[in-house]
Amino acid sequence: MARRRGLGAINKEKLEKAKYGEKGAEIADVEMSHVSTQIESFRSYLETFAAKHKNEIKKNPEFRAQFQQMCARIGVDPLASSKGFWASLLGVGDFYFEVGIQIIEICLATRDLNGGLITLEDLRKRVIASRSKTQQQDVSLDDLTRAIKKLSILGNGFKIIPLGGKKLVQSVPGELNMDHTTTMQQAEATGYTTISTLTAPPLNWTTERASHVMEHLIKEGMVWVDQQAPQTRYYFPSLFFDLQPVK
Amino acid sequence: MASQSSSEFEWPVLYNYPPFYTLQTNLDTRAKQIDAWCNLILNYFKYNKLYVLDLTEALASSPLFVNSQLNRILSRETASLILNTLDSRGNLEWQDKEKDRCLVMWRTPKEWGALIYQWASDNAFINTVCTVYELHSGDDTINEEFYGLELIMVVKALQTLQNDGKAQIIQRSNPDMSDAGVKFFG
Repeated sequence: MARRRGLGAINKEKLEKAKYGEKGAEIADVEMSHVSTQIESFRSYLETFAAKHKNEIKKNPEFRAQFQQMCARIGVDPLASSKGFWASLLGVGDFYFEVGIQIIEICLATRDLNGGLITLEDLRKRVIASRSKTQQQDVSLDDLTRAIKKLSILGNGFKIIPLGGKKLVQSVPGELNMDHTTTMQQAEATGYTTISTLTAPPLNWTTERASHVMEHLIKEGMVWVDQQAPQTRYYFPSLFFDLQPVK
Repeated sequence: MASQSSSEFEWPVLYNYPPFYTLQTNLDTRAKQIDAWCNLILNYFKYNKLYVLDLTEALASSPLFVNSQLNRILSRETASLILNTLDSRGNLEWQDKEKDRCLVMWRTPKEWGALIYQWASDNAFINTVCTVYELHSGDDTINEEFYGLELIMVVKALQTLQNDGKAQIIQRSNPDMSDAGVKFFG
């Protein structure tokens, strides 16, 4: 025989539900405040840490990269604003801002020569050279990558193109398609490529396709032609000068 | 005569870039290329204290146009284009109709004139007569930058001073002015 449920039982059940809900909310509240105090204290530790190691962060690029990672995990971006607490504390915002300006200057100054393509490594050498007079800060590839990412906010002018082993920084707008980057990969080791390299295996391009790609890159100022070799060579100044020893 | 050997000259990075010796078709790239060539020629001539360029000779043997290490040579057409650009910039003067011989003026005659005048006033030669020979090959100018300067450049420099009323050239019998004199005014 089924047990009959009276009004009292229903009321009791309702009450229990409400109580459980209340308790749950209470626990969640405690948990929340616990977590936020934890985050808060972590932040303050991070701030103390940052203040304490300010010079280290400024001088040592590896340390800087690790600090950046640490900040990113808890949702703090020291670069987000140059007016923020972090920037005023560390001056890191200023650091990337400066590097960004130097990147723009170098890319503009070398654009006639390389058509707006430069390897990340070459760019790094030039950034360091342009800074060395006043500061003795080392600038890592990671720093450059961060600064370039910040620059991309300004529009689609700055892009990083990964080749096989190197990374190229493109400072002019315009899409480079697969064929363009493929020819750059072919030229990575020597600084140049030839039509017959592109028409031979593994690419097996048609001569029309290869010439069309080279014509485009010449038009963009990214390739120089050398007609005094047994076969016409197409040089990428960005890749060629990366292979040269620094003065 | 070059006083220093050209091997000590610091070649620009483009000198070792093979396409530098092929005239580029992209006009922006070409402008950059010609500009770099102009600077290279002026710097090379200045470093080696050279003044006269014989194009045929230079294209045959000068390391300026012949990069034996890369096995690259500048063509005559491209070289002429570059030299004409230098001409239009006031840094070069053709000496013949065939445009084979030219004066490379890494300092303009006016700049040379100013240097000579400075020397004259520093050494109390104002209101005295000097010979042109004394200026470019005399004992008093041995430490001056214009010592050894090509006669034709000395004359051009003095002409700019004469035009400014700072000197008077006194011509004698030789039409090339090799025996001329000059009087500086204070």
